[in-house]
Amino acid sequence: MERERKEFMVDQRELIHILHEVQNHYGYIPPQAISQISRKLRISESEIFGVLTFYKAFTLHPRGEHLITICMGTACHVRGAPMILDEFKRKLGVEPGETTGDNQFTLETVNCVGACALGPIAIGDGEYHGQMKTRDVDKIIEDLKPKKGKSAKNE
Amino acid sequence: MKITIDGKTIELEERKTVLEVARQNGIYIPSLCDHPRLTPFSGCRLCIVQIKGRKGYPPSCSTLVEDSMEVVTKSPGLQKLREEILELILAEHPNACLICSEKEKCDEYKSTIRKVGETTGCVLCPNNGRCELQDVVDALKVDRVRFPSLYRNLEIKKSDPFFDRNYNLCILCGRCVRICQEVRGASTLAFAYRGSQAVVGTVLDKPHLESGCQFCGACVDVCPTGALSERALKYELLPEEKAVTICPLCSMGCELEVQVREGRILSTKPSDQGVVNQGQACVKGRFLIRDIVHSPSRILKPMIRVQKKLEEVSWDQALDFVAQRLKRYKGREVAFVSSSQTSCEDNFLFHKFAREALKTENIWNPAGFSPLSLFSEMVRENGLDSGLNFRISDLSKAKVIFLVGADLPVSHPIIWLELLKAVRAGAKFILVSPIAYALNRYAAKWLQVKPGTEYHLFNCLSKVLLGNEEGEKADIPQGLDALKKTLAEIDLSQSIKITGIEEEELEETTDLLMSAGPAAFLFGMGLAQGQNSSAGLAALWNLARVREAQIFPLGLENNLRGALEAARNSSAKGSAFNLAFHAALPADIKALYLTGPLPGLEKTKLEFLVVQDSFMNENTEKADAVLPATTFAETEGTFINAEGRVLKFVRVIEPQGEAKPDWWIISQLAQKMGKEDFRFKDASAVMKEMSKAIPGFSKMLPASLENDREVFIEEEVKGEKKPVLPLTDPPHAVAGKKYPFLMFLDYSLDYYRNLNLCQEIRGMSLIRDSRWIKISPEDAKKLGLMDGEKLAVDSTAGKVAGLVKISEAVPQGMVVASFLWNEEEDFSREKLFSAQGNPFMSILPVNIKRGM
Repeated sequence: MERERKEFMVDQRELIHILHEVQNHYGYIPPQAISQISRKLRISESEIFGVLTFYKAFTLHPRGEHLITICMGTACHVRGAPMILDEFKRKLGVEPGETTGDNQFTLETVNCVGACALGPIAIGDGEYHGQMKTRDVDKIIEDLKPKKGKSAKNE
Repeated sequence: MKITIDGKTIELEERKTVLEVARQNGIYIPSLCDHPRLTPFSGCRLCIVQIKGRKGYPPSCSTLVEDSMEVVTKSPGLQKLREEILELILAEHPNACLICSEKEKCDEYKSTIRKVGETTGCVLCPNNGRCELQDVVDALKVDRVRFPSLYRNLEIKKSDPFFDRNYNLCILCGRCVRICQEVRGASTLAFAYRGSQAVVGTVLDKPHLESGCQFCGACVDVCPTGALSERALKYELLPEEKAVTICPLCSMGCELEVQVREGRILSTKPSDQGVVNQGQACVKGRFLIRDIVHSPSRILKPMIRVQKKLEEVSWDQALDFVAQRLKRYKGREVAFVSSSQTSCEDNFLFHKFAREALKTENIWNPAGFSPLSLFSEMVRENGLDSGLNFRISDLSKAKVIFLVGADLPVSHPIIWLELLKAVRAGAKFILVSPIAYALNRYAAKWLQVKPGTEYHLFNCLSKVLLGNEEGEKADIPQGLDALKKTLAEIDLSQSIKITGIEEEELEETTDLLMSAGPAAFLFGMGLAQGQNSSAGLAALWNLARVREAQIFPLGLENNLRGALEAARNSSAKGSAFNLAFHAALPADIKALYLTGPLPGLEKTKLEFLVVQDSFMNENTEKADAVLPATTFAETEGTFINAEGRVLKFVRVIEPQGEAKPDWWIISQLAQKMGKEDFRFKDASAVMKEMSKAIPGFSKMLPASLENDREVFIEEEVKGEKKPVLPLTDPPHAVAGKKYPFLMFLDYSLDYYRNLNLCQEIRGMSLIRDSRWIKISPEDAKKLGLMDGEKLAVDSTAGKVAGLVKISEAVPQGMVVASFLWNEEEDFSREKLFSAQGNPFMSILPVNIKRGM
């Protein structure tokens, strides 16, 4: 992390850039990173906190290995997104914004992904699944799981 | 430029915002987020107006006036819009009382029902009657809210000292966030989250104690609602009267508005009209005054020792007793200890009394150990051209600022605010400090020098600036050849190694130093505490000559300048006596008169001890006579602040108990001792005599101080702008095998006469406990130390105890302690440093271990 940070000019305008790097590297922004960035960029910790809580791209808690996002936009909503969400909640045993105990899945909702014609939409690790039905939920979760096996081997 | 507002033609010269112009001309425009000291925000949208020829409703707080602008501030359309905007604001703020039709009748009950935890309406709000939102609701006459009320049910934060934070009452005007960032430079508060979740908060929602807060209270003062509220005011009614006086807790001389009810101080706020502070103060002036003046440690009656016990007596008896006993001692047998926290009048009388009534030259003056006396001694001895006076406002004009040895936000908060303005305007700020203070963030260059080695650093910088024989750097003043020759003998790479600074950093620093524009060099107690402090100061003076900078010496006490001036003009033996006195009470002294704190006093040698003070402490327990003095709030007089500015303070409440002003006690006592020319009827009479006797005080006359706040101490500046030579290179303290840590003192003036503010006021002890020994996280880990553990500090000068405080500001191999004394004797640092005979020598190699 220290090395990565050196690549940036020490410039306060780089704050968001650096936060992105930290988020990508760790999957979240650890509290120590806030103090370190604060010292390097000479921005107060509270101001950094203000910026990182403003953007949804940054999280303060570790996300799971896999991210499942459910669109709750108007079109998806009327086409049954709440039922899809409920199914994910039941299958994973977590509320939106939470991560499963084994740190595998994080469930999130989003207010529109701009593909309303395909609603309801679920996104598993960046892959869009349109016209979701509740019975598709299992498959998405299962499809993501083998990746977990792979990454476990890599570690 | 000419504009019209509501048909009224207004002429103006400066370009201001529409809201400012309207306010200055008595035209009311409702507004909640705007504040005269902050940049426009346009958040609340209540200040909208109509401007002829412009579309829509621009907010007046961020609209600059233009020639022949026609502004309408009141119209049915605007009223309707504002009402609706206010209703939206109120939908997220408890509003039941605000719009209640019975609110007029509620007054009688509200103080009794304020004790509930949650605020759901004004009668339960700590800020009831002091709330700007209430005023705006009244002005707009809103009596209904058509939107569903939303209570966010956020946790009320009560863990920090002095103020509570209830963000359920927050209207997100952002004033607190902006004042913390723009004016105070702390940025402890920020907007967090977004949209309907948005809230003002600290990093990771930590308490203010852990987020770099200075507890200056600026956020509390600008809050237009009860979201930020002073805890001490929670159960108080509104003040009956307000008076303006001067804060005695540091050398800034902030003007404070004191709120009084039933003869008691409720609260103090920085006055907006304050010539020095302009609406700002610090934690001490803002939150401590009430607790100091009404402290349970106050001495309320004169006392004398009768058969080993202190007994309360009348003033007459007490004065007779003291006068009779003091007459027995003469000259060398008696000594007087003055105080730099009392007024100029008091200090003048202390010296007059010692000289004429006690017939002694033994007057110990705490001002003798200060950056001021160090500097003025250097100036006098070398015939230099420099005074002690300066203007804080000069700092914001500086383009290069070089600061040595002071944590300004703590020790000189108003100078810090001015420095911040300069930095924001592009000044290059160079900081020399072993400790990573919060303000280091604003430094263009922070030189983390090893404590006590500043002398070498300054010489190296001068040497680099003066260049070598062949090439000289540009813009170096003439007449520095002698200095150049002397510095030529210094081995740069050897010297710089001592300081712990890299050689490359020198070049960087000199480049910054030579940036165009005026330069200001500030130095505080940090430079004055090594064994080689005068050598360090001479080297700083030389560097300032090379750069042609003005030097700002920064003392600590509120009336250090006044005390120093009074001492200079007295025939007191000065620093030689000071030194001897501080090392140990000279053996021939049998009677001692104290008007200030003197920790570690051994009574056994003394026959007679008088304590004239406002507060009880260990010395009052030992005293033969205790004379209760008033605090600054109960009397009047003058202080002279760091700038040399004369500030008049006034009585805001009646004296507590039977306490009397210091000048009164001294003059009564002198009369009882047969000195007739001590007949003063009030402090002004003392001032009149003082202004004749002391040249520096010649401009201080009651009449001229009435309205003029630009009266400065008179200084005679004669001498040359020349370097101080020859250079002497005295040793500096180095950590060794037996004593592997260097102990460094943190100078924050947390006492008022006999009162240790950190011990007296719990909130203060959470911010800066005088028992703390700060240590780096790395060293703490190595030694397995935890926060709050008891610590034993061992040194060649003796042992003291401390409590571990882990701080990232402290570098490895160092520990930082407060210079304050403590009631628990184990913790009293003063003892350790006076054992060395000179409190300046306070960089000390020590060893630390757990326990005691």
